[in-house]
Amino acid sequence: MALSCPSASAGTPRQGCGRRIIKVGGLRLALQLAIAIVVFSATAGGAATKAFAFSRHELEAKIAYCQDCHGPSGQGFRGYYPIPRLGGQQTEYFENQLRAFADGQRLNSIMRPVARSLSPAMITALATDFRAFNPRPLGGDRRGLAAMGEKIFQDGVPEENVPACAACHGPAATGFEQIPHLAGQIYPYMVKTLTNFRKDRKEHLSDVMYPVVESLNKQQIEAVAAYVSSLR
Amino acid sequence: MKVASIQLALPLAILAIVLGAAGRTSAAETGAVSKSELDAKIGYCEICHGHSAEGFRGYYPIPRLAGQTPDFITYSLAAFAERSRTNNIMFHVASSLSPGMQAALAAHFHALNPKPVGGAPTALAAEGKKIFETGVEPRGGGRIKACTSCHGDDAEGNQDFPRLAGQLDDYIVDKLTNWGKEFGQHPSKMDVSRIMQPIAEALTEPQIKAVAAYLSSLQSDPSRGSAQ
Repeated sequence: MALSCPSASAGTPRQGCGRRIIKVGGLRLALQLAIAIVVFSATAGGAATKAFAFSRHELEAKIAYCQDCHGPSGQGFRGYYPIPRLGGQQTEYFENQLRAFADGQRLNSIMRPVARSLSPAMITALATDFRAFNPRPLGGDRRGLAAMGEKIFQDGVPEENVPACAACHGPAATGFEQIPHLAGQIYPYMVKTLTNFRKDRKEHLSDVMYPVVESLNKQQIEAVAAYVSSLR
Repeated sequence: MKVASIQLALPLAILAIVLGAAGRTSAAETGAVSKSELDAKIGYCEICHGHSAEGFRGYYPIPRLAGQTPDFITYSLAAFAERSRTNNIMFHVASSLSPGMQAALAAHFHALNPKPVGGAPTALAAEGKKIFETGVEPRGGGRIKACTSCHGDDAEGNQDFPRLAGQLDDYIVDKLTNWGKEFGQHPSKMDVSRIMQPIAEALTEPQIKAVAAYLSSLQSDPSRGSAQ
């Protein structure tokens, strides 16, 4: 397997892992089939959207597959990697990220094959489904920093050229279209994403954030993460 | 009633602007700004206002600054800092800028000329052009003069009267709809924004949307300024 089980390297093999590998194997088959369908329908001309139609059963199976890692209500999960909350996410952002994973603009060896197995119609359906979830935040952040994080989020740090996050993400961190919903996002995912923002993305993907993350120091990142992870 | 007060307010406000302008240039000259400080601050503004200050649709519509008159930029920053224009985010931004930095930023953004962001319903633009160039007769009687009389034939603005050409339509709609809640909040100070308040309040929602659609489509001569 090119994809290793995420928990294996942590030295604690978990029951769910084998299941996931089987699914990834299944995905490979599905991917080849999907490519065959694309090629086939392309020669037939203009029938591509029909070829991507799926049943309610297929959608439910795919949602369950996402929930294995992202949590039953899309609330996020602290696995070996912090796995982000999807509940309440903006649909346009959700779809953009899946396309970015699929075409390698956003670098993630697990999400790349996942995203590549999804038809455009399935991506839209999943985005709509996870948008509707509104689970409680997982919590567990560093409460002591949340007040500092709130100040940075709402006011920015103008003398250090840190913009107010609220200008684009909204005062309640609910996002807008292609700008992500951050309220309730899990703390370690926020820290990891802001710390590795540029490293995990090819040039120009979400580059509006590059100067922001470069202006924030470690403590400021942790403070913002603590604040948004506590928001309902 | 409202319209009569517009006609009175206009000459008064113009007088106030002319008097204010005489004292303003000296403030702009205080405080030297290094090239690296200025570049860092420009990069900071562009995070929200767009790579070429063409405006950006975040959670809020964030206005185009490109091509804006330097006077209107420095006037707005002062209004944010003294909270006569209420905006929490811009209050903090404006409070951190020295007069020299404000003048340097104003000159920089004035020189930019990127394409408008667009996205407004094009069907409304013809009606908006008519309102902008000839004014309207509000239901309560009287007359709102042509917008061109202050903002210019091509909406390029003049000193304290802002450029509106290429501005995001949703930003214009938001400002005109909420004028009295955001502008002129200083209890005693005569403010140029008072000119617009009765006009904004007399315009109907469809008229506001039409004017906004028209303005958002206007582009300056590409030979003026730079796209970057």
